Amino acid sequence: MLTRTSFAARNLRRRPLRTGILVLSIGLLVSVLVFGLSFTQRVDSGIKRTSERLGADLLIVPTGARGFAEDILLENRVKTVYMDGSVLQRIRQVEGIEKVTPQTYLVTLSGLCCDVPDATIVAFNQESDFVVRPWLKEDVRGKLKPGEAIAGKESAFNIGVGLMEVDGVLFGKTFRIVGTLEKTGTGLDNAIFITDQNMEDILQKGKSEVKPGQISILFAKVKPGIDPYKVASRIEDTIIEVDVVARKDIGKGLLNNLRDIRTIFAVGVVLATLLSMILTWSVFSAIANERSREVGIMRALGARESYVARVFLTEVVIVGIAGSIVGIIFGTGLSVLLATSFSMLRNIPSDLVPLERVVVALVGLMGGLIVCAVGALSPLWALMKMEPLSAIKGE
Amino acid sequence: MRVTQIVLEKVSKTYVIDRETVVAVRDVSFGVESGEFLSMVGHSGSGKTTLLSMIGGIVRPSSGRIIVGGDEISSLNGKGLPDYRSSRIGFMFQFSSLLPVLTAKENVLLPLTFRSGKVSSSDESKAMDLLRMVGLADRINAYPFQLSGGQQRRVAIARAFVNDPAIVLADEPTGDLDEATEREMMQVFKIMNETKGITFILVTHNSDLAREAHRRFAMNRGSLASLDAQEKVSDLHN
Repeated sequence: MLTRTSFAARNLRRRPLRTGILVLSIGLLVSVLVFGLSFTQRVDSGIKRTSERLGADLLIVPTGARGFAEDILLENRVKTVYMDGSVLQRIRQVEGIEKVTPQTYLVTLSGLCCDVPDATIVAFNQESDFVVRPWLKEDVRGKLKPGEAIAGKESAFNIGVGLMEVDGVLFGKTFRIVGTLEKTGTGLDNAIFITDQNMEDILQKGKSEVKPGQISILFAKVKPGIDPYKVASRIEDTIIEVDVVARKDIGKGLLNNLRDIRTIFAVGVVLATLLSMILTWSVFSAIANERSREVGIMRALGARESYVARVFLTEVVIVGIAGSIVGIIFGTGLSVLLATSFSMLRNIPSDLVPLERVVVALVGLMGGLIVCAVGALSPLWALMKMEPLSAIKGE
Repeated sequence: MRVTQIVLEKVSKTYVIDRETVVAVRDVSFGVESGEFLSMVGHSGSGKTTLLSMIGGIVRPSSGRIIVGGDEISSLNGKGLPDYRSSRIGFMFQFSSLLPVLTAKENVLLPLTFRSGKVSSSDESKAMDLLRMVGLADRINAYPFQLSGGQQRRVAIARAFVNDPAIVLADEPTGDLDEATEREMMQVFKIMNETKGITFILVTHNSDLAREAHRRFAMNRGSLASLDAQEKVSDLHN
């Protein structure tokens, strides 16, 4: 039986090349939209997720190393800075601080000090830690024993944890990797975690540049109801050896860069939208001209304006949906394939979650449909308002 | 007893083309009784198609009134006109008027599709019967490009009857047909007129066919004149 959809689909099949070009043009627009949104959303949500999962309100680093925290957490850059461990006690005494935990970072260089791929070794304090512990898997929730280590999700994959019992030599000391952390979506996924007692063993062997008593970073949590920024100012005012980064400021630099990139994408999308709209308008105008006699006949045989409009709109929707699907596949594929080509994305630890991908795809679909509908509006209006006899005579 | 089905009162239609007013139909008044078979002749551009289109409700008159079955169709709007066309009128155009993406059967069913949005199996049977009636029983699922010009005309003729119209407006419907088929189709029209009481207004260039109508008219520069009356006058003179 003839339905409106099959009628519209048959109309579109009359000129497969023209329909194909229109679908492709909508597809290109949607792919630009989907690619741009995936890119910016990935940076945006990567930073947000890292910040939210950190568990600490303040990151305290040696003076001048403000970017260090971001390098480690957001961009997976293997780096080390050190400060005197005595800072820990002074921070604990600052008004508004609830708890503080230190971490010390060492850099492995495969072949020189260690037999694992280049990674950051994170020494944490098991008693005060509140940053690493939430990510420990159930089977390693107990305390680490001397000579035991845990690998971040990515490090575990690189080392081959899970396939076999793995021992690794780190700075001349053999460690047994006893478990892995759950995926954190931060730079910590690329680290190997040991306790600070193990760290002392390494330092005694003199295989690392770190001196006893040094730490790299302090994670602090402020008391409930206290403004972290006020506590940060208080710390910086009283302890000149440290800089403080509030959790909410993590990734500010990246977000500033992202703003520019977003503007560039927006301009690109606007231009692509205009081009697609003009193409859609011209194609649907040609279709309207070509079919004016048929529409006149339909109207003469009793078709209402609304029926003609619905058939035409169904064609618009079919083209819009087909183009959008092409664009979503192409744009998503591009965003995945080119992710490693952009340093900003390469270093962002997490990818988009499925829900975000769905939202981006829906935005792409809506974009494709709206462009199609707007482009087809004026030809549709002209077709609907044509007097049947004029349409039949092609006047 | 026959009742007056169509009434035209001082109907005119003017167009403005390149700032020039062209009168297509000028002050036409006449009435048609239900079940009548009328023929209309005239040169190209004399206003025949425009007059037929106004009766069919696809062109609005510039002035005057058209009353069909008691309803003034020139005042119908919105859904009224499409419903009038799909339920009371059967159109036959002077050119191939099939939609190219639809099969012969689907083309025949179009007025019913427009009227109710869907077609029933009895509608489909009726469409096939009509295609059989015009000699296209074996071409039911053929697309227009698979049919000859004459076959396409016959599909259009079958389509004009599918909605059981009260009035068929036929604008040179047999133009592309050979003489034998033309006569055959004329027989179909006459049978439908006599058995179903369908009112016919047939525009034709074929004076022999025109002569078979109950009444004959001629259009000339937008004005309508009865040929029967002229012939009577002419007979009296002779």
